[in-house]
Amino acid sequence: MIRFDNVTKIYDQKTRPALDSVSLEIDRGEFAFLVGASGSGKSTFLRLVLKEDHATRGAVYVAGQNVANISSWRVPKLRRGIGVVFQDFRLLPNKTVFANVAFAMQVIGKSRDIIRETVPEVLKTVGLEGKENRLPHELSGGEQQRVAIARAVVNKPAILLADEPTGNLDPTTSLGIMKVLDKINQNGTTVVMATHDDDIVNSMRKRVIELRNGVVLRDEAKALYTSMIPVVQAAGSDREPSAEAPE
Amino acid sequence: MRLAFILSEIGGGLRRNVSMVVSVILVTFVSLTFVGTAGMLQMQINQMKGYWYDKVQVAVFLCVDTSTSPTCASGPATDEQKKNIETLLDSAAVKPYVTSWAYESQPDALNHFKEQFANSPIVDSVTADQLPASFRINMVNPEKYEIINETFSATPGVETVIDQRQLLERLFSVMNIASLVAVGIAGLMIVCAILLIATTIKLSAFSRRRETGIMRLVGASKAVIQLPFVMEGVVAAVIGAVLASGTVWAVAKFFIQDYLADQYKDTAFISANQVLILTPGLIVLGILLAGVSSLLTLRKYLKV
Repeated sequence: MIRFDNVTKIYDQKTRPALDSVSLEIDRGEFAFLVGASGSGKSTFLRLVLKEDHATRGAVYVAGQNVANISSWRVPKLRRGIGVVFQDFRLLPNKTVFANVAFAMQVIGKSRDIIRETVPEVLKTVGLEGKENRLPHELSGGEQQRVAIARAVVNKPAILLADEPTGNLDPTTSLGIMKVLDKINQNGTTVVMATHDDDIVNSMRKRVIELRNGVVLRDEAKALYTSMIPVVQAAGSDREPSAEAPE
Repeated sequence: MRLAFILSEIGGGLRRNVSMVVSVILVTFVSLTFVGTAGMLQMQINQMKGYWYDKVQVAVFLCVDTSTSPTCASGPATDEQKKNIETLLDSAAVKPYVTSWAYESQPDALNHFKEQFANSPIVDSVTADQLPASFRINMVNPEKYEIINETFSATPGVETVIDQRQLLERLFSVMNIASLVAVGIAGLMIVCAILLIATTIKLSAFSRRRETGIMRLVGASKAVIQLPFVMEGVVAAVIGAVLASGTVWAVAKFFIQDYLADQYKDTAFISANQVLILTPGLIVLGILLAGVSSLLTLRKYLKV
């Protein structure tokens, strides 16, 4: 679903690369954590998938397509296939829960009937039924993040990217969010979540890709936040797709 | 659905920065009014040209007692000299350029003079002797005046050859300068309008960066994201253009048609309705102005 082929991203020639020859593949339907300290390259990874930036070297494939070959007017189409959730929710403060989710459908030209049908379904999936008419400031942080997740998945993207979605939430609330993400993953959506919340990673036991200074430090299936194997592996070279345990 | 969505976005944008939108309307209004005024002046010049060029004549004035020109050394023009001029007018060299000519005798000239200056006391002190007799020549093409001038100015008995068109040209050149000034001011105001529209769009894009950010993320097309901003400028500019057309029309109606045309009945003035053909031009200009400046601004400030 997502494949990085020797991808290097250099923002500034004077500093070290944000990503350095990263090669990895995330399969359809997989759930992968992207862990590592700030500045390890997690956000750069997500930006490259979204074609917000282009790789300095190497190739990024999303759904089998090299994103470098996608012309700028077709980038919106690429992004329709990818949902994104952020740490700071990014809801529209003057729109209700329903309108916030519907907004994502309106701007890509979905009909009113489809919106009226789909939005309540998605709100139910994320556990927000009955709160359609609330404004974002009337919701708790966890609920706001659920709205953001609903908005990210309402157009049924094949991939969901989550950039520290629990970063602003307490542990109990975070767990609730993880359940929602897991449910979405079980419905067939590939989920890539950047985080440094070790409790969550440890409790989920999913694939963990650890980045440090732009290099893949380890890539393990059903792993913990900290490595169980003390050996530092070469970037992505050890891993076979068959070694994965798709959920 | 998408159209309704874009329309509501435009409406929201216009409401959100009313003061900027009003200033865009006013600036485009003033600049396009000057453009329209320049256009109106040109129309008026053309109208007058069409009207007067049919009527202008070349006048060959004959010598009178008081003439000082060298060709009048022998005193007032004689009948023989007059005959000579008539022959010349009918000669092969001149005839092709002349549609018709008429002789205006001194008593005729006095009558015309009295008609023209009916309200002036000067009429009483003028006698037929003081006014020169003349040949009034209508030309096929008034621009070929030089041919008549060359043929007759050195002919004995002719005091001077006057092209009436030159009197009009002076008026037209004044009007042309006025319309150039209007175009100049319009140009300056258009620069203002473009900069102001760019600033408005910039502000608008900044205040809505949250929405546009989300729109990008969920894969809204470039058109859906940018169109509301472009249309905001275009709507404001079109309102300005409509106001400008209205103003130009009002000037044509109340000043030119109702006042000037009434005061100067023997001059051809444009009618207010003629001016209305400027309206589509002004509106198109307004749309171009707003559209181009906002697209250029958006390329810089609204990444998609």
